[in-house]
Amino acid sequence: MIEIHGLSKTFTDRRGDTVTALDDARLDVAENEFLTLLGPSGCGKTTLLKCIAGLVPYDSGTIEIDGRPIQGPGPDRAMVFQNFALLPWASVVDNVAFGLRLRGVARAEREERARELVATMGLAGFEKKLPGELSGGMQQRVGIARALAVQPQVLLMDEPFGAVDEQTRRLLQEELLALWEEQRPTVVFVTHSMEEAVLLGDRVALMSARPGRVAELVPVDLPRPRARGGGPDRSGVYAELTAYLWDRLREMHEEHRTVRTGAPA
Amino acid sequence: MSALRRLPAAPLSLAAGAMVWEVIGRAAGVSFFPPLSTVLDRLGEMAADGALLASVRDSLLNLLLGTAISLVAGIVIGVAMGRSRRVEAALGVYVYALLTAPSLVFAPVFFSLFGAGRGAVVAVIVMYAVFVVIVNTAAAVQAVPAHLEEMARSYGAGERQLLPRVVLPAATPMIMAGVRLGVGRAVTGMLNGEMFIAVVGLGHIVTEAGGSFDSASVLAVLLIVIAVALVAIALVQAADRRLTRWVPQTAKGAQGK
Repeated sequence: MIEIHGLSKTFTDRRGDTVTALDDARLDVAENEFLTLLGPSGCGKTTLLKCIAGLVPYDSGTIEIDGRPIQGPGPDRAMVFQNFALLPWASVVDNVAFGLRLRGVARAEREERARELVATMGLAGFEKKLPGELSGGMQQRVGIARALAVQPQVLLMDEPFGAVDEQTRRLLQEELLALWEEQRPTVVFVTHSMEEAVLLGDRVALMSARPGRVAELVPVDLPRPRARGGGPDRSGVYAELTAYLWDRLREMHEEHRTVRTGAPA
Repeated sequence: MSALRRLPAAPLSLAAGAMVWEVIGRAAGVSFFPPLSTVLDRLGEMAADGALLASVRDSLLNLLLGTAISLVAGIVIGVAMGRSRRVEAALGVYVYALLTAPSLVFAPVFFSLFGAGRGAVVAVIVMYAVFVVIVNTAAAVQAVPAHLEEMARSYGAGERQLLPRVVLPAATPMIMAGVRLGVGRAVTGMLNGEMFIAVVGLGHIVTEAGGSFDSASVLAVLLIVIAVALVAIALVQAADRRLTRWVPQTAKGAQGK
């Protein structure tokens, strides 16, 4: 469904130096797949996600969704942001309806749909509240509802639970799992947590930093539904996979350190 | 003490100021600084003959026109400068130069251009008020969080939607800070312009009275100007409260109680 070939992207930083974020990256995401994108910080995983979102232009390569090359942001994709990116002056309902409003959906219709999603996300009774009056977890529920409101084919999530506390994160993960197992949208989910990558994903795409590309695709052989009863058994396959991913990530960190200091650690 | 605290601060400090004025005015016993009661008597006399009312109306109309032009032009130019580097590069140097230049030096130019009438006074008011609005608006627009714009673009917003749906609402608190300053400067510009051009409004009365060393009249007009300024600021604050109700109190800092 999403096909990424030879994707390269370089930035120029403030000092004028060239930074290679992505170098010949390739990745295929299947329809209805939940793919988690894991990697060390600075490996370009967020850049890759933003390229898919159409927010960041890339230097070379192709991104196709159902065979159509993407040209900027489109109604087939919706994004959930790490810092929530809610409009602080708009109520919960208006925030959820924001994407619909930009697309010219009539007021009555968009508010009805927004209210339904607000209820789905467990925020009934908070419709008129402003984001500043909500906890971080509730704010991200609004962010997810806003993405779901536009009924995207692909849900792009950029470390969505990175800014909330551990307990809230667990709850949000379970809610997302339940939601996904019911509706089965295609999800690309960026995270820096091995546990989160394994818990949520059908496959984990492990990214390396230099060069910024997908180094390995790790299938997650855990039964679904995983949302029920406090999540999957965290021993067995789960523990093996998270341990394996950490080994790989630590290798990458060590290589990175060697490259930087110019001598073996 | 607790009873005092419950009183609003502004009326209290005004009452104290009035008392000090009266006491010093009486103690000094000089013609160039009459006590408040004398000034208020004179104000009554001036109001009775009708000339004052016409002047006040004149001045208010000047102020209204000048402020309206300053706010509209200031916000439009400020947004353009905030959104476009090219516009900022083209206009920035003029805006900052004129922001710091003494605005009254342009009065003779306006006098020659528009004649000794409303046009010249309004132009002086705009000269006083518009630049601070432009500078604040441009800074406000540039300070809009990039992640909000990115979010809106990810949901398909073009520049036309970004402006009304994201940029302007996000920039409103800071724009309003500029509007507050601009309105204050517009009142100053009104009086200065009218004094310089000296055939209309309150400034005319001040010039005439000042020329004949009639301090009571000068101070009477000053009272009116202060009242006009306070009302103008109160209006701006009311608008500000309505527009920026969403800003958390802690973020407003000193504005909170």
